[in-house]
Amino acid sequence: MALIEIRNLWKEYGQQVVLEQLNKTVGEGEFITIVGASGCGKTTFLKMLLGTESVSRGQLLLDGKPLPGEPGPERGIVFQRYSVFPHLSVLGNVMLSLELEKSPLLGRLFGGARKTAEKLAKEMIDAVGLGQAMHKYPHELSGGMQQRLALAQSLIKRPRILLLDEPFGALDPGIRADMHQLVLSLWQEHKLTVFMITHDIKEGFYLGTRLWVFDKCRFDPQAPNAYGAQITYDLPVGQTDGHLLKKSPPRAAEKVPPPLPDKYRRNLWNQVFTNIPCPARVIGLCVCGVGFV
Amino acid sequence: MKKLINRVPGRTARWILGVLPFVLCLVLYLAASNARLAENENDKLLPSFSSFAGAIERMAFTPDKRSGNYLLWQDTASSLWRLSLGLGLSALLALVIGILNGAIPYMRAPLSPFITAISLIPPMAILPILFIVFGLGELAKVMLIVIGIAPFLIRDVQQRALEIPAEQLIKAQTLGANTWQIIVRVLFPQIMPRLLASVRLSLGAAWLFLIAAEAIAATEGLGYRIFLVRRYLAMDVILPYVVWITLLAFLLDYVLRKISRMCYPWFHAQIQTAEN
Amino acid sequence: MTGRYSRILLPFLFIFCSVFSSISASAAERQKFSVCWSIYVGWMPWGFGAEQDIVKKWADKYGIQIDVVQINDYIESINQYTAGKYDGCSMTNMDALTIPAAGNVDSTALIVGDFSNGNDGVVLKNQKDLKAIKGQKVNLVELSVSHYLLARALDSVGLAEKDIQVVNTSDADLVAAFNTKDVTAVVTWNPLLSEILAMPNTNSVFDSAKIPGEIIDLMVVNTKTLQENPKFGKALVGAWYEMMGLMSANSEAGRAARTAMGKASGTDLAGYDAQLASTKMFYLPAEAVAFTNSAQLKTTMQYVAEFSFNHGLLGEGAADATFIGVETPSGIYGNSKNVQLRFDPTFMQLAADGKL
Repeated sequence: MALIEIRNLWKEYGQQVVLEQLNKTVGEGEFITIVGASGCGKTTFLKMLLGTESVSRGQLLLDGKPLPGEPGPERGIVFQRYSVFPHLSVLGNVMLSLELEKSPLLGRLFGGARKTAEKLAKEMIDAVGLGQAMHKYPHELSGGMQQRLALAQSLIKRPRILLLDEPFGALDPGIRADMHQLVLSLWQEHKLTVFMITHDIKEGFYLGTRLWVFDKCRFDPQAPNAYGAQITYDLPVGQTDGHLLKKSPPRAAEKVPPPLPDKYRRNLWNQVFTNIPCPARVIGLCVCGVGFV
Repeated sequence: MKKLINRVPGRTARWILGVLPFVLCLVLYLAASNARLAENENDKLLPSFSSFAGAIERMAFTPDKRSGNYLLWQDTASSLWRLSLGLGLSALLALVIGILNGAIPYMRAPLSPFITAISLIPPMAILPILFIVFGLGELAKVMLIVIGIAPFLIRDVQQRALEIPAEQLIKAQTLGANTWQIIVRVLFPQIMPRLLASVRLSLGAAWLFLIAAEAIAATEGLGYRIFLVRRYLAMDVILPYVVWITLLAFLLDYVLRKISRMCYPWFHAQIQTAEN
Repeated sequence: MTGRYSRILLPFLFIFCSVFSSISASAAERQKFSVCWSIYVGWMPWGFGAEQDIVKKWADKYGIQIDVVQINDYIESINQYTAGKYDGCSMTNMDALTIPAAGNVDSTALIVGDFSNGNDGVVLKNQKDLKAIKGQKVNLVELSVSHYLLARALDSVGLAEKDIQVVNTSDADLVAAFNTKDVTAVVTWNPLLSEILAMPNTNSVFDSAKIPGEIIDLMVVNTKTLQENPKFGKALVGAWYEMMGLMSANSEAGRAARTAMGKASGTDLAGYDAQLASTKMFYLPAEAVAFTNSAQLKTTMQYVAEFSFNHGLLGEGAADATFIGVETPSGIYGNSKNVQLRFDPTFMQLAADGKL
C-alpha cells in the first residue's frame, strides 16, 4: 500500500495559484529529491507534508488518511538553518525527544530514566560522527556538524518520513559530500521515506530514487499568478545508487559523483529549464539523467 | 595621519580617558564648593568632603538618636527589599504573560493590544487610583514599580518569544512536543537570558519609580530619606545617598550580568558570534 | 509626572546655576533684586502685586528693580533662597529657622504677614477625640509645620511622638491618600484641610487656632542684603501694605483683588474668603508691629527651636535647642553669638508711621 497519496492537490493563496493538479503516489522507503526554480512551490509542498501549510483542494493522504494539519512525530524535519536548539548541548538536543516522550509534565528525565535516554542518544550521536562533541553547544559546531546533529535529533524519534529542506545548501562542497553519505546510510538503516528539496541537481540525481521537477507549464503573461506549478517530471533515478550502496558501505572517496564536468552539466541544466519548451524538456532531462548516471 | 574613526586609544589611554570625566566632575565640585564655603562656612548646598564624611558616619555608623537604628542600612534594606520585590514580581509576570503571549495566538490576540495600551499609561498620572486600589503601604510601593516596568518587560518578552525561529517550534513538534512542553523546554530556557537583559535595562526605571513611591508616602527608604532631608537642604546627606544609590544600581546590574553569563553561556557566546 | 521628575532633578540643576550666580551677587549697592513666593493663602498678595505692578511701582519709587517669582514647590523656593538665588522668600517661622538660619544664611523676617488661626489641623477618620490618635499612623509632610502642630497637639493631651507613627506623605498626594483605608489620621494645611474635612466621617480634632500665633507666615530676606540695601526693604514693605489695604477693603476693588488671588490659588472668592477666615491677617502694619514686639513671639520661637532640635533640624553642630540665636524685639532666644534669624519690626514700623 502506498505510504503517501497525493490526489489532485491544489494550493492557492487567494487569487494566486501556487500548486495545481498534483497526483502522485509514494511508497515506503522511497527517496524523493525535489528540484525546481525558486518560487515554484516546492517549499510550499514540503510544508504541506510537514503540516504547517493547509491543503486548498484535493487530498494529501498518509496511509490512506488525511495528513494531520500540524507537525507531528511521524514526520522528521531538517531545515537549512535553525534546526537545532541553541540552548541545549549536542547530547541535550538528541535526548530531547526521548525526554519529551517519557516526561509529559516537565519534559525532563532524571536518574535511571535519564541514564537510559543518554545511552540511546549517545549511540545516535556516534552514528552521525559527533561522538567527540557530545557536550558542546551548537554555536561551537561547524555548519556541517550542526546538520549532523539535526539529523541525529530527528532520527532518534524514528520518524517514518524525513523531510529535508535544502539541508546542505549552506555547506561547503567537501562537507556536503560527507553529508550525502551520511544521509544515504541513515536512509538505508532506518528504512526512511525521504523528501528532500535541493537546488543542486547533481545532488538530486545522486541521492534520490525518484527526482521530481516542479515547474509551471502554463503561463499567462497577463495574469502571472493564474496558474500554479506542477510536477512536470517524475524520474526514476536512484536504482544505481541503491545498487552502489548494497555493494559496499560508502566511503568518502567514492561518493563524489563521477563524470560530467560541473560546468557542462550546469549549461545543460540551464538549457533544459530555460530555453526548451515544456514537452521538449522531458527528453533533455532524460538525456541529462542518463548522461549523469 | 589616520582618520579619527580609525584611531583607537591603547589600554592605558582608555583607562585614563574613562576616569577623566569623573575626576573633572570632582574637581569642578571641589572648586565650586570651596568658593561657596569661603563665603559661608556653613553652606549647605555644596558641603565639603569632611561634612560628607561626618554625614556618612552619622547615617551609617551611629545609631539614630530617636529610633536607635542605623539609618543608612535601614533605608538600604527596605529600599532594596521593595526594589527586588518589584523587579521579581515584574519579571515573573513578564515571563508568564510574555511567553504565553508569544507562544499562543489566542492569548496574544486579546492581551497584546491591551498590554501595549497599559504600558503607555504613565503610572505617575494614575497615582490616586493606585492609592485607592493598593493603599499606601508597602504593597503600593511595590505595585508602582510593577506597574511601571512590568508592561515593558511583558512586551519585550513577547517580542523575544516571537523572534525565536519558527523552525525551532516546528522541529520541537516533530520531536513529539506538546504546547506545554514547547513552552518549558524550548521557549522558557531561551527567554530567560533575554529576560535578564531586559530586567537590567529596566533597572533605571525601577529605581525611579521606587524613589517616587518613597517620596509620596513612607517611613524609611533611600528615596524617603532624600526627600525628607531635602526639607532642610542637607546636601551632605543627599549627595552620599545619591552616590550610594548609583553604586547599588551598578552592583545590581553587575550581579544580573554575571548570573546571566554563568547560567546561559550559550546565549552570550551566540551574541558574540553574531557580533563578530 | 514632570513635576515629580523635576523634584528629583532640580536640586542638582540649581546647584550649578546658583554656584555661579551667587558669586557674582555680592556687590554692595545693588539695583536689581528678586524674591520668590509659593502658593498659600497668606502669600497670594505677592502674585497679585506683581501682576498689578504694585511691586514695580514701589521699586520704581526707590529707584530699584524687584523681580517677584512664583515657585510651584514650597520647599524648593526656600532651598533656592537659602542657596542664594533669591534675596527674599515667603516662608513660615519654623522653616525660616530650620532651613536658611540653620544653614548659616542670616535672615530677617521683614514682614510678619499673618499667623495660622485654624488653617492647619489634625484630622481623624471616624473619631472625635484627639486622644484616639494614640497608636495610629499619622500621614503628614514630615518636618513641616504640620509636624510641629502635631507635636503641640500631642503635648496638649499628654501624648508624645513615640505614641504614634509618622508617615511622610507628599502634600500633593495627601487628599488622594486620605481616601485609602490605610490612612486614618492626617495633619495638613489649607486648602487640603478643608477638602479633607468635606469628606464624610472626618473630624478636626485639633487646629492651629488652639495655638494662635505659633505658625507665622513671613517674608524673609537676606539680612546682609537688607542692611546694605534698605531701599529693598522699604519697597517690599511699602508694596505689601498697599496690597493689604486693597484686599482688606470691603469694596468692589477689594473683592476684585480677593477674587484674583482666589483664582490664582485654584479656588474662587468664597473659597479664598473661607481660607482667610482661618488666617489672622495683619492688614495694618501696626498690628504686625504689635505682634512682633510681644513677648509671646520669643516663647513661640523657643517651642519651635526645641521641636526642631528634637528632630535634628538644627544641624549636627547643635548641642541643644539654643544653638541658633533668634532675635526678637523682646530679647534674643538662644545663642546671642550665633544669631541667624531676626524679627525686625523697623520697616513695618515705617509703614505704620506712614514714612515710606
